[in-house]
Amino acid sequence: MQTSRSKKQQTTNTVEEPLDLIRLSLDERIYVKMRNDRELRGRLHAYDQHLNMILGDVEETVTTIEIDEETYEEIYKSTKRNIPMLFVRGDGVVLVAPPLRVG
Amino acid sequence: MCWQELWERRGCGSGGYYTGGGRQRLDRFLIRIVKMSLRKQTPSDFLKQIIGRPVVVKLNSGVDYRGVLACLDGYMNIALEQTEEYVNGQLKNKYGDAFIRGNNVLYISTQKRRM
Repeated sequence: MQTSRSKKQQTTNTVEEPLDLIRLSLDERIYVKMRNDRELRGRLHAYDQHLNMILGDVEETVTTIEIDEETYEEIYKSTKRNIPMLFVRGDGVVLVAPPLRVG
Repeated sequence: MCWQELWERRGCGSGGYYTGGGRQRLDRFLIRIVKMSLRKQTPSDFLKQIIGRPVVVKLNSGVDYRGVLACLDGYMNIALEQTEEYVNGQLKNKYGDAFIRGNNVLYISTQKRRM
């Protein structure tokens, strides 16, 4: 009779893949860095091998750099918006991590 | 291409002969080439070897990540621990795991102790 295992464990002797470790973050809040200077923070509901993801309660941050014509200084601007449920296409994803502590 | 051709191409075959530091660098370079050609599947072997070591991961976008390599796969998807992100200067610290999608990776390199 099989002992009960949690859904997240697998009987495997081989080294886990990076994707296996993402599985540990299911239903947790995560931070996603994407292309085009975008960042997402939300709850990971689902993902696949392409890193397509379903995120809930998402806050998206778009960062732009404007250059002042006179002083040539870089001005960082960020735009945020909230999305209750979001499908993210995997090819835009750069990095996935637990949410950043303020640092 | 055998190391002999490389040797001659470098001008050491006839007449010219490197001395001193240049010669040592050339020797080390050639030894590495010979070692690599004796091993099969060097890229996958390398990937298995470096797990657990501190590495530098450079992305196509130019962003640099330094951390301990937790695991990776054949697509070059990477899981790092104790990661730091460098863009020109230091930007963010990520503690715990950071997963990097393989298509963005330009290279994975080991970090030597001298930093």
